[in-house]
Amino acid sequence: MASSNIIEAKNLKIQFQGKIALSSLSFSIKKGEKVALIGPSGAGKTTLLNTLATIIKPDEGELWIDQLSFKEMQNRKMLAKKLGMIRQQFDLVDQLPVIHNVLAGKLSDWSLFKSLLSLIYPQEKILAMNALERVGLGDKWSEKTSNLSGGEQQRVALARLLVQKPEIILADEPVASLDPARAEDVLAILTKLVHEEKQTLITSLHSVEYAKKYFTRIIALRDGMIYFDLPAHEVSAKDLASLYVLKEKV
Amino acid sequence: MRLELFSTHKKTYLTFILIGVFLWSLLAVNWDKDLFHSGGLSTLFQILEALFQPDLSKEIILLAIQSTWITLSYAVAGVGLAIVIAFILGILASGIFFEAGPLGSLFKTIFRGVLGFLRAIHELVWAWLFVASFGLSPFAAIFALALPFGGILGRIFADMLADVPEEPIQALKSTGASRWQLFFYGYFPIVKTGMLSYTMYRFECGIRSSAIMSFVGLGGLGYQIQLSLDDLHYDEVWTFIFFLIAIVVLIDWWSSQLRSKWTHSTKHWFLPFSSLLTAGLLVGAWCYIYIVDRASIIELFSTKNLEFAKKFFANMFGLGDESPAFFNGESWKAAISLTYDTLRMSIMAIGFSTVLMFLTVLPAARNVANGKLTLTRRWYNWVSFAVIRVGYILSRAIPELVWAMMIIFIFKPGILPGAIALALHNFGILGKLCAEVVEDLDARPIRHLASSGAGKGQILMYGVLPSVFPQFLTYILYRWEVIMRTTIIVGFVGAGGLGQQFKLSMSFFHYSDITLLLFCYILLVWAADFISEWARKTVK
Repeated sequence: MASSNIIEAKNLKIQFQGKIALSSLSFSIKKGEKVALIGPSGAGKTTLLNTLATIIKPDEGELWIDQLSFKEMQNRKMLAKKLGMIRQQFDLVDQLPVIHNVLAGKLSDWSLFKSLLSLIYPQEKILAMNALERVGLGDKWSEKTSNLSGGEQQRVALARLLVQKPEIILADEPVASLDPARAEDVLAILTKLVHEEKQTLITSLHSVEYAKKYFTRIIALRDGMIYFDLPAHEVSAKDLASLYVLKEKV
Repeated sequence: MRLELFSTHKKTYLTFILIGVFLWSLLAVNWDKDLFHSGGLSTLFQILEALFQPDLSKEIILLAIQSTWITLSYAVAGVGLAIVIAFILGILASGIFFEAGPLGSLFKTIFRGVLGFLRAIHELVWAWLFVASFGLSPFAAIFALALPFGGILGRIFADMLADVPEEPIQALKSTGASRWQLFFYGYFPIVKTGMLSYTMYRFECGIRSSAIMSFVGLGGLGYQIQLSLDDLHYDEVWTFIFFLIAIVVLIDWWSSQLRSKWTHSTKHWFLPFSSLLTAGLLVGAWCYIYIVDRASIIELFSTKNLEFAKKFFANMFGLGDESPAFFNGESWKAAISLTYDTLRMSIMAIGFSTVLMFLTVLPAARNVANGKLTLTRRWYNWVSFAVIRVGYILSRAIPELVWAMMIIFIFKPGILPGAIALALHNFGILGKLCAEVVEDLDARPIRHLASSGAGKGQILMYGVLPSVFPQFLTYILYRWEVIMRTTIIVGFVGAGGLGQQFKLSMSFFHYSDITLLLFCYILLVWAADFISEWARKTVK
């Protein structure tokens, strides 16, 4: 295994109630790559991301994340240093002020006492404020999270990831419920931050256009299998058309 | 096909079954003149007359203020303790701290069972057991409130925690948060508002329950009501009742203010004020109990008291009794027939409440009163709205037991006065809840009906009923569960059923009888919970 590979998957296979969700997936991802997962609904994008996040255990096959042993992967605090997740919107606790949602990225480092104290008097506030500045929400730190717009909430989730500082970011449809302008905005910030922090990014996306614009590599899934795996600039219109074509009815 | 027909008409079938059951329950009463005491009607008239001439003399007012404080402080102390119990047991019963798996669900089931047991027994029964075992002490009242209220609150907390959306929790998990960090950053902030408003509602109930603790000899408003009733001083009775209504209404107002201010984005002065008030009430209540009432926990557990308690429970389990009631066929027969009576009493009570609710719910809804829903505005709409709403407040602010104490002056003992007392208290609650459902209705289809010339009855049949029915039914069944739990209480003052026998057995020191009766009572309560949950699922 080459040491520059931060993720290696070998013959991953997952079944849900007899239905095959992922069948024998093998791929490796290098440090610093920005990978977009595309494919029709039900192709297995979310399942794959959840498997990489170790939320789902594969039925067969092997998965290495930065040489972590199986035991180390079980330790949530250690895993949080390696992997961070962002999903479509519902990541945040709506009832908390923005700053606590950002500082939640620090929970793996904090003792219970410090995390309780922080709810009354925010700890490491400068860190959180810097993160919020970088996503352009410096003035919103004390607002209730539910009062923010969808795009702003996604940026708060990004600020949380900045505080958490994982080496790999897994994003599951991070812009699915945003309008085009806000979606581009969030993606631009996400990819920029990943670049600045030298992180690795794996994102599932509905939009092929965004995938080509913001990512370096595209993995297309269909029916739980890899349909193609190409550098973003090599993906042709023909590839895409055949990826999304409906199955012919027999 | 047949099954399909059944499932589309499930609600209709269920409605007919419920109406049938109600009519059957009415057969339990011999409908003739013998129901009333001779002179019962003139007593009723005197009581009603006194309603408009309460005794406002200085001594009575001072006495009322003092008793109000006692009632309030027992309620504050009891509900405060209940919150602690509910918090601990609720978290355990929600299962959020257990790993998924057979062991986790086993623990969850055990703690849910504990909560179920605590709330199955009415607070007054707990009080009676405590007084019988430990003697008269404010702690009997406080613990008696804390246990069932802890059970009810804990169950709701557990449900709320279990219903927390998964996404934010998953996201927090992926940041490496520990279980307690998950709780304080995820679960707790999400359920906080819901917990608060439900706790405020239970506090209001706690005031009423604290007032009736008098029945086992503890002070407070209920005690004064009882004394005045015994002396036939109805004008004093109403003074005390008005004080009770006043605190219930105040707390209701407090909680609605708190809810509306809570959702504001900016901090309102009312929130810190409420925290201060809560702290003040807690400190005041416990100081009163310790310093003025001279209650002491240590004394509660003195060797003398422990000896008493040991004896009491030994008697309850029939130790040393030659033929304990639960091994006696005759006692079982009697207990089962009483259980049957009690069941019919509860059904009659919820039936009466429902009928009264349906008669009043439309004019009691704000959107009907202001004409927005029906597009007809009449000046008398506001009058009927106000009258009915005041009626609701009066009805629900007066505890069932107090209603029963008054009604027993008019009716001869039996299950009818019990059912009426229960109905009088519950129709106000049911009316308020259901009127709120009507207020939340989508007005467009109903306005359409109104504008196409439908009358009030037609609007009710075609517009309102179909859309509110499931919610109404949920509330009706839920109140039936509560009524079932309370049947035993109205029985204490002679309104029939298991409660009446319970009281007699207490007076004759037939402790093993009490165990048998309590057993039947708990079975009945659990059966009611089970049936009502099944019926609610059926209409969903």
